[in-house]
Amino acid sequence: MATPTVNPPSETKDDSLPPEHKNAPVRQSLHYKLVITLYRVFAIAVLYLVLAGIMSYAFVMGFYAVSTSWAAPIILSAADEKSLDFREKLVTTQQTIEDLKVDTKKLDSGLGEMKKHRAALLALEPELQQAIVRERTHNRASGPELAALDRQKQADNVKTQKVLAQLKQVESNINKDLAAGLITQGDAATQLAALNQVGGAYTDSKIAEVLLTDSVLDKTTTGTTSLDVLVKQAELRSEVAQLDVAINVAEKQLQEESRQVDRLRQAIQTAKQNPYYLNASGEKTLYFAFVPYDNQASAVAGSSIYDCYLNMIACRRVGTLKQVFAGEETAIHPIFKTQIRGFLVQMSLDHAESAKSKTVFVGRKPVVF
Amino acid sequence: MAPILLWLILVLCLLISAVKYLMGIILKFSFASTKAQKDYAYQPTVSVLMPCYNEGKTVYETIESISKSNYPNDRFEVIAQDDCSVDDSYDWMLKAQHNFTNIRVSTGRNEVNSGKARSVCNALQHSTAEIIISIDSDCIFHPDAIRELTACFAEPRIGSVGGRVGVRNPNDSVITAIQTVIYYSAFQLYKIPENWTRSICCISGCLFAIRRELLLEIEPAIRSRNWFGIPVNQGEDRFLTHQTLLRGYGTYINNDALCWTTVPNTLPVLFKQQLRWRRSIVRDFFFTLRTLPQHVWKLHPNTVFTLVLTPLGAAVGFLVVVSMLSSDPLAWAGPVPLVTALGVGAVLTWVIKKYSAKEAIAHPLAFGAYIAWSLVSSLFLTPLALCTMDSADWGTRTKPQEVPIGNANR
Repeated sequence: MATPTVNPPSETKDDSLPPEHKNAPVRQSLHYKLVITLYRVFAIAVLYLVLAGIMSYAFVMGFYAVSTSWAAPIILSAADEKSLDFREKLVTTQQTIEDLKVDTKKLDSGLGEMKKHRAALLALEPELQQAIVRERTHNRASGPELAALDRQKQADNVKTQKVLAQLKQVESNINKDLAAGLITQGDAATQLAALNQVGGAYTDSKIAEVLLTDSVLDKTTTGTTSLDVLVKQAELRSEVAQLDVAINVAEKQLQEESRQVDRLRQAIQTAKQNPYYLNASGEKTLYFAFVPYDNQASAVAGSSIYDCYLNMIACRRVGTLKQVFAGEETAIHPIFKTQIRGFLVQMSLDHAESAKSKTVFVGRKPVVF
Repeated sequence: MAPILLWLILVLCLLISAVKYLMGIILKFSFASTKAQKDYAYQPTVSVLMPCYNEGKTVYETIESISKSNYPNDRFEVIAQDDCSVDDSYDWMLKAQHNFTNIRVSTGRNEVNSGKARSVCNALQHSTAEIIISIDSDCIFHPDAIRELTACFAEPRIGSVGGRVGVRNPNDSVITAIQTVIYYSAFQLYKIPENWTRSICCISGCLFAIRRELLLEIEPAIRSRNWFGIPVNQGEDRFLTHQTLLRGYGTYINNDALCWTTVPNTLPVLFKQQLRWRRSIVRDFFFTLRTLPQHVWKLHPNTVFTLVLTPLGAAVGFLVVVSMLSSDPLAWAGPVPLVTALGVGAVLTWVIKKYSAKEAIAHPLAFGAYIAWSLVSSLFLTPLALCTMDSADWGTRTKPQEVPIGNANR
């Protein structure tokens, strides 16, 4: 089949241009040209800007992916939550130490008293022992003597009792004599009174005998008095034992509290090396920066700190790294926005504005200039 | 305030897209009216217009596939129009004309390179058929494609009908795998709600059927398309669809009318193709905004939303990606986007394997790379399209080394 000529010559010549464009007034054509020119200038500018933006972005991303010297400044305000929290904990700890000190003092004083008391009680023990020995020695000597006297008394009383039996006959004779009128009533009364006195003397003698027997019992056997003394001795020893326990407990408590005070003091000492403590306690504005672990090698006390424009170029020295804190911190990567682990450093800045930069560099300038 | 507004627009765009995909599933299986009433007895005369530029031997294969159509041979013809190819495309056209004598094949050649849209118009001059089908010269057509397209014109209000474009080379690379999933989901889900209202916003130029009188009505507008005096020869499919809708006709995609295209398998070629498409979308967006009252008055709200929000979403997507990259550069590399893409990819890969074995993707995880492409697409395409609106460059197949090797004399 023959190939038809689709485009007539007259039509194909103008095929690339729309028909009304051919007939467009010169004015419209100029207008179009102006618009197109402006558009192209604008488009080229925008595209170059976009290209520059993309390249800069890619460079920044690449740079921060490999850089090992950057740190992110952090401004900690006095009202910083961590600082306040830290300060509160520190005050609480100090208060605990003070409480413990008072407690320790009390314990120490109580312990002294208990020891004194114990010493006093222990001093009583030998005296008591001596008294018991003394008493026993005396009893051993006087006991047999009293027993002999008791026996003699009993024999005397037996004799007296016999005499008293004979006196009843005498009394009967007196009454008979009185009835017979051999004696007067007055004589009879005198004689009877004398007889009663003899009976009373016998009774007294009997009482003395009983008392003597008691004394002999006291001296020769273990009586209640001796038991009382032994109870006293046991109480004394018990009190000493109780004091020993109390002293032991108090000493251990004292030791423990002293150790706790030491530990808390040590904790405070460590805490004083924390940036949040420094921030909370200091009156001067302090400058800190977060350093990721990847950049740890660069973070050496005394190193120079550089602040740069556009996060990496035209850098200037703005201070030094004052100290490195040991505690781990987490932060958001200033560029990649991922969570990273690292630590804080304190900076000594000559230019306070650098503390507001997104990043600073430790040790050296990140690029040549 | 501005970032919140951007996010709101983006969320709205994404929401509408998600709703359209979900509606696509529901409508596809539940509403009979989603499908056009086809009448296979209706067999109008058909002209298949095939503009061609630097396609080489593919053009021969394309004509060959059309020659095997299940449509009365005396009721259709092929008019192939070469747009001054620098390769041997025209020779292959002539060879096809010589070899496929069962159908009428006409060949023509522009005297100067004029672009696809004007090549179609030039080919149209030699057609007298009732239905015009414009095709891409790098596609292979299913034998039922013409029959399926013409059957839809039984609905008198339908002005243009498109077919489903499948991917011939799904497993060439990760890039082609991604495109396969996107093409499949776009035709089988995204466009279904538009089918429901007979208001497809863009019928693919690979397989585009239109009533003759309608195309003749639109032809002057096609020829006069310009951007401040610079002729516009890209995005004729979107333009034709849009014009069809504005003239009160319905547009429809018949997924039973199949054609197969070879999608770009390298990033540069894909980028150029997508840039060309994005320019068309932007151009269409400006046109829509300029004539918004007319659109609101005449078109279905679904269509207006799609015409406005699709390009707006692309522009906002750019701003969101820029702000995201500057505020949280690694967010896109997180597990959520990857898992989402892999999940969606896995499901769609399974569906494609089940319902369109020819397009089955060998590596279901390939769709995971869509995240990287969406980032490139959001970041570069829209600003580049906005800044190159004066470009008439087709982008692909313009350099000799990109032309498929073919020799008609062999």
